[in-house]
Amino acid sequence: MSAASTPLGRFWADFRESRVAVAALVVVVAIVLLAVAAPLIAPQNPYDLGGLSLLDARRPPGHVGSGGYIHVLGTDAQGRDLLSAILYGLQISVQIGLMAGCVALAAGAALGVTAAYAGGMVETVVMRIVDLQLSFPAILLALVLVALLGQGKAQLVTALVAAQYAYFARTAYGAATAERRKDYIEAATATPLSRRRIVFRHLLPNCMPPLIVVATVQIANSISLEATLSFLGLGLPVTEPSLGMLIANGFVYMMSGRYWISVYPGIALIVLIVAINLVGDQIRDQLNPRLRR
Amino acid sequence: MWGGSAILPSPVALRCPAQRGYEGPVEAALITRESRTPMTGYVIQRCLQAVVVMFAMSVIVFVGVYAVGNPMDVLIPLDAPQDVRAFIIERFGLDRPLWEQYLIFLGNVAQGDFGRSFVYATPVLDLILSRLPATLELTLAAVLGATLIGVPLGIWAGYRPDAISSKSIMAVSILGFSVPTFWVGLILILTFAVYLGWLPAGGRGPTVEVAGVAWSFLTPEGLTHLLLPAVNLALFKLAMMIRLARAGTREIMLTDTIKFARAAGLSEATIVRHHVLKLIAVPIVTVFGLELGSTLAFAVVTETIFSWPGLGKLIIDSITSLDRPVMVAYLILVAVLFVTINLVIDLTYAALDPRIARGHAA
Amino acid sequence: MKLGKLLQAGALAVALGLPVMGLAATGATAQTLTVGVRGGPESMDPHYSALGVHADAMKHVFDTLVWSGDNLQIEPGLAESWKPLDSTTWEFKLRKGVKFHDGSDFTAEDVKFSIERIPVVTGPTTLLIYVRRVKEVVIVDPHTVHMKTDGPAATLPNDFVRLFIVSAKAAKDFSTKETAADGFNSGKATIGTGPYKFVSWEPKGDLVLERYDGYWRGKGPWAKVVRKEMANDSSRLAALKAGQVDLVNYVSSADWQALKRDAKIDTFLADSVYVMNLQLDQREQTPKVYDLDGKPLAKNPLRDPKVREALDLAIDRETMVEVVLEGLGTPNNQLMPKDFFGWSPKVPARKADPKKAKALLAEAGYPNGFKMDLHCTNDRLPGDGAICQGLGQMFAQAGIQTNVNAISRTVYFPAQAKKEYSVFMNGWGTLTGEASYTLAAMAHSNSPELKLGSFNRIEYANPKVDVLLQAAGKELDDPKRKALYQEAMELIMADRAYISIVTLQTVWAAAKGKLKMAPRTDEDTLAFFITPAK
Repeated sequence: MSAASTPLGRFWADFRESRVAVAALVVVVAIVLLAVAAPLIAPQNPYDLGGLSLLDARRPPGHVGSGGYIHVLGTDAQGRDLLSAILYGLQISVQIGLMAGCVALAAGAALGVTAAYAGGMVETVVMRIVDLQLSFPAILLALVLVALLGQGKAQLVTALVAAQYAYFARTAYGAATAERRKDYIEAATATPLSRRRIVFRHLLPNCMPPLIVVATVQIANSISLEATLSFLGLGLPVTEPSLGMLIANGFVYMMSGRYWISVYPGIALIVLIVAINLVGDQIRDQLNPRLRR
Repeated sequence: MWGGSAILPSPVALRCPAQRGYEGPVEAALITRESRTPMTGYVIQRCLQAVVVMFAMSVIVFVGVYAVGNPMDVLIPLDAPQDVRAFIIERFGLDRPLWEQYLIFLGNVAQGDFGRSFVYATPVLDLILSRLPATLELTLAAVLGATLIGVPLGIWAGYRPDAISSKSIMAVSILGFSVPTFWVGLILILTFAVYLGWLPAGGRGPTVEVAGVAWSFLTPEGLTHLLLPAVNLALFKLAMMIRLARAGTREIMLTDTIKFARAAGLSEATIVRHHVLKLIAVPIVTVFGLELGSTLAFAVVTETIFSWPGLGKLIIDSITSLDRPVMVAYLILVAVLFVTINLVIDLTYAALDPRIARGHAA
Repeated sequence: MKLGKLLQAGALAVALGLPVMGLAATGATAQTLTVGVRGGPESMDPHYSALGVHADAMKHVFDTLVWSGDNLQIEPGLAESWKPLDSTTWEFKLRKGVKFHDGSDFTAEDVKFSIERIPVVTGPTTLLIYVRRVKEVVIVDPHTVHMKTDGPAATLPNDFVRLFIVSAKAAKDFSTKETAADGFNSGKATIGTGPYKFVSWEPKGDLVLERYDGYWRGKGPWAKVVRKEMANDSSRLAALKAGQVDLVNYVSSADWQALKRDAKIDTFLADSVYVMNLQLDQREQTPKVYDLDGKPLAKNPLRDPKVREALDLAIDRETMVEVVLEGLGTPNNQLMPKDFFGWSPKVPARKADPKKAKALLAEAGYPNGFKMDLHCTNDRLPGDGAICQGLGQMFAQAGIQTNVNAISRTVYFPAQAKKEYSVFMNGWGTLTGEASYTLAAMAHSNSPELKLGSFNRIEYANPKVDVLLQAAGKELDDPKRKALYQEAMELIMADRAYISIVTLQTVWAAAKGKLKMAPRTDEDTLAFFITPAK
C-alpha cells in the first residue's frame, strides 16, 4: 500500500496543495515548539521574582539590562524581558487552548455519541441540556464562572470547558446520529461486541472529522477568550502573565509612547490565532463532502 | 464571538439528507425539529426551557456569590466598626442562611420585583432597562453593518474564489476573526480619536426620544459616537458573515441546480440573485439572529473600552462589586432574551422554508 | 452590483462629513466645564454612600456641616463655629442667611433631619461611621444645635466633614429605603445649599449641573458643569486629548511622565490621603508562610521582630516610587501622610539594606530564608498591583521567596476579613485628616465592645498602644491629644507589624492654559474652585 492510498495520506496530499495552509501549519508547529522549549531558550525566567530588577522596567527594545544581555523586544513594567514573557505567555496560551479544547472535545464527544447511541430517555435529557447551553452566550457563562471560581489555570480551563463542551456534544450527536443508521453499525450490533466497544471503537472514530474541525476553531477561540478575560481583569493571576494579560497590562502605556509592551505580545497572539484558524479552515474545506467535485 | 461561529449552517445540507453528519448545532437543531409536530408544542417547549435556564442561572449566582464571600465585605468601608458592619449586613438580609435568602428572592420575583441594586439603590429592573437601549443600538448597528457589508463581499469571494480580490477578502476576514476585540478597539481609539482627531474617544452622543426610548443614532453627533464602537464590535461578525456567505456560495455553485440553470441559459447575475441569494438567506438569517444575541453579550468588551453606557459595563461592574441582585437579574433577562430570539429565528426559518414547517421526515 | 455602488457613495459621504462633524462636536464653551471622572456617584442621595467619588459629586449640590480645607484641616462650612460644652455635648453654631436651591432657609431643622435620616437610607458603603457617636440632636434655636454624644467624642467636628445637609422640606417624603433613591435621582428631593443645582443624572452616566446664583460663598465660575463617568484610564485621557472634556482626574502613573513633557497639557499634582501598608499576621500560626519545600511552618516567623525588621529593610522605597510608580508617590514611614494630625516627626526614615536584612534573617534562624504568599488588590488604588509585584521582587532579593497574588478586591476583602492571609498589603486613606480614624481602627487590639480595632486583621496587640489610644479618644484638648497619638504612632511603627511604604499622589490634567485649579488632598474635583485661566 503506497502512502497515497491511506486516508491520512490522501488527506495530507490534498492539504499540501494549499500553500497558505501548509505555511500556517508550519507556524503553528513552530510556535508550539517554541512554547514547549521556552524554559530552555528564553534569556530570563519571568516568573522568578529574584531574577528581575525593577531598574530594568519599561525599557525600549535594544536596551542592555542589568542581567547583561540585550532585551530584544524591550521590557515591561516589572522589568521582565518581553521576549521571555512572550515565550512563556505562548506556553500558557497553548496550554490553555489545548487543555480546554481537548477536555471539551472528550467530554462533549463522549456525551454526544453516547446520547445518540443510547437513544430514548437518555438521548432526550442529554440533548435538552446541551441545547439549553447552546442557547446561552458562552462569554457570559465563562465570565460568571471565572468570577466565581477565582483566578488560576484550573479554574479558567474549567470555565472554558463548561462554556464549550456543548458544541462538541451537539456536533458529535449529529454525526453519530447519521452514522448510527449506517450498515456497519447495524452489523456490529449483531455481533457479541459490547455496546461500549461499538461506541468507542467504531462509532466514535467515524465521527471524528467534524469534531476535529470544531476543535481547531475552539482552540483558537479559547486562546482568544482567555486574552479577553484577562483584559477584563478576570483571567489568570498577574504574576503568571498570559499573552492577554501582557497586552492588557501594557495597554496603559500606549498613550505615553511605550508601545512595545502591548504591541509585541499582541502580534504574537494574533499570529498564533490566525495560523490555527487557517489550518482549521483548510481541514474543514477538505473534510466537507459537499465541496468535493 | 461565540455562538454558532464555528459551525456555519450549510444551505445544502438541509436539503440533502444523504450528506448529513457535518451539520453544526444550528442545522442539527432544525433538522431534528423537522420530526417534531405542531408549532405550539414547540413554543411551549422553548418557554419551559427558558424557565429552567432562569432557575439554573439564579442558583448558580446565589451559590457562587456565597462561595466568593459576603458582598458586604466588598462594599462596606474598611473603617466601619463592628456594630456598623453588623447593622448593614442585617439590613440587606445577608445574615440569613443562603436558602432563606434564595426563597425570599424567588418570592419577590414572583411579584415582579427583582430587588434593588446593592450599589445603586435603584430597582434592578429599572437599572437594566434604562441601559438596554444603548446596548441594543450598538448591537443592532454592528450586526446590521456586518451583514450588509459582509454578505455581498462573501458572495463575491465564493463566486470567484480564485480572484485576487477574493483572496484579499478572505485574508481580511481571517484577521477580523482572529484579532481580539479589545486590542482593535484601543487601536481604533488611538488612531481615529487621538492622532487623527476625527471621531470622539468614547461615550454616547446626544439622544432623541422615539417611542419613549432614547436613541442616539438619530442625531449626527450621536452617529459619530456610535461609529467606532460599532465598527469594533462588527469586525468579528463581518468576518463571520463573509466566511458564511462564501462557504455557502461555493457549495451552491457546485450543485446540479446551478449546472442546470446555466445550461438553461440564465445569466450569471440572475443565477446569483435568484438561486444563491435565496438559498443563502436561510442560514444567514439564522446566524444573524443567533449572533444578535451573542453580540449583545459580547458587547461587554467594547462598552468597557469606549465607555458606552450599556448593559455590558453594568454586568462587569456588578460582578466585581458582587452586586448580586444585578447579576441575577441580568443573567435571567439575558436567558429570556436568548430564548425569545431563538424562537423568532425558528419561526422565521419556518416562514422562509415551508418544507421545515410541514416537518418532512428525514 | 447596485448595492455596492450605494455603499461606496455612502462611505464617501461619511468620510467627508466626519471631520466637519468632529470639529463641531468637541469643546466646552467658555461657560461650561466638562470633567471626565474615573468614578461617579452611586445615587443622588448624599446619605446613601460614603465613597470618596460619591462625596466628590455630592459636594457640588450639597454642603457639609464642616468643611474640609487644604490638607484636610477643618474649616467652617454650614456650621460657623463649634465648641464642646461638656464631655458629651458639642454646640454647633450654624451659618445665617444660607438658602436652599428652592429658596427656603437653612435652619437647625435641616441638620437634625439629615442626621436622623442616615441610618434609615444608608447603603452598604455607609455614612453611619461619621454620625454614630451622635446619640441625640437637640435644636436650641434655628441656628444653634447641640449634639449629644455617647461618651467623649473629640473628633466629632472632623467626622462632620462628611455630613451632608439636605432640605428637610424637600426630602421629607423621600427618606425611607424604598423612596430615597427615586426621590433624589429624579431631582424632586435633590435640593441642597451647594454651588450647583441638579439637572440630570443616570447611574454610570453624565451628571449635569447648572449654577446656583444664590450660593453663600458667591457665584461659581461656570454656568453649567457636566461630569462624565469614564472608568477606563486610557479612554479618559484620550477624551481629554481629543478635546471632548476639559479636565480629567486620576491620571495614571503610566501617562504622567509623558504628560508632564506634553506642551499641550497642564498637570496638577497633590499628595493623597492614601498610604500603602504591608500588614504582617501576628497569630501564633499563620496559613501562608512556608519553608523552602513548601510545607507550612510550625512557628509563625512574622512574630519575630528580627524577621519583621528584615522585611522592612528589604523594601527600597525610593525605587518603588521612582520606578514602579514612575515618580507618582512619596516614600512614607508611618500610617498617615505627612503632617496630618498625629503624624510624628520622630519616626525614623527607612533606608533599604538588603544585606542587613539577610543577616537578620539568619540571626532569627532562617539563613536560607523562607517562602510566603503576598496578597493585595489590583483594582482598588492606582499602582496597588504594581507595588505588590515590586515588593515580591525586593523580598526575593533578600532571600524570602514570595508568591505575589494581586487579585480583584472582590476576592481580596472577603478573604482578608476571614483572616485567610498572612502577608498582605492594601492602601488606607485617612479620610478625616487625623489619627484617631486610622489608629483606632487599625492599631488598637480588636475590641468590639469598645468599638476599636475593627480593621485590625492581623491580631496585633500592644497593651501600651491600647492604653494610649483609649486615653486619646477621651482627651478633648487638642495639643494633649496630638502628643498621645504621636507617642502611639512611634510605638506602632517601631513594632513593624504594619510597615508603611509610600503615600500615593494624585494627578489631574487639563488642556494647556485653559484652567486654574488647586489640587486637593482628598482627591475631589470641585467645579466651584476651578477657574478659567483668563
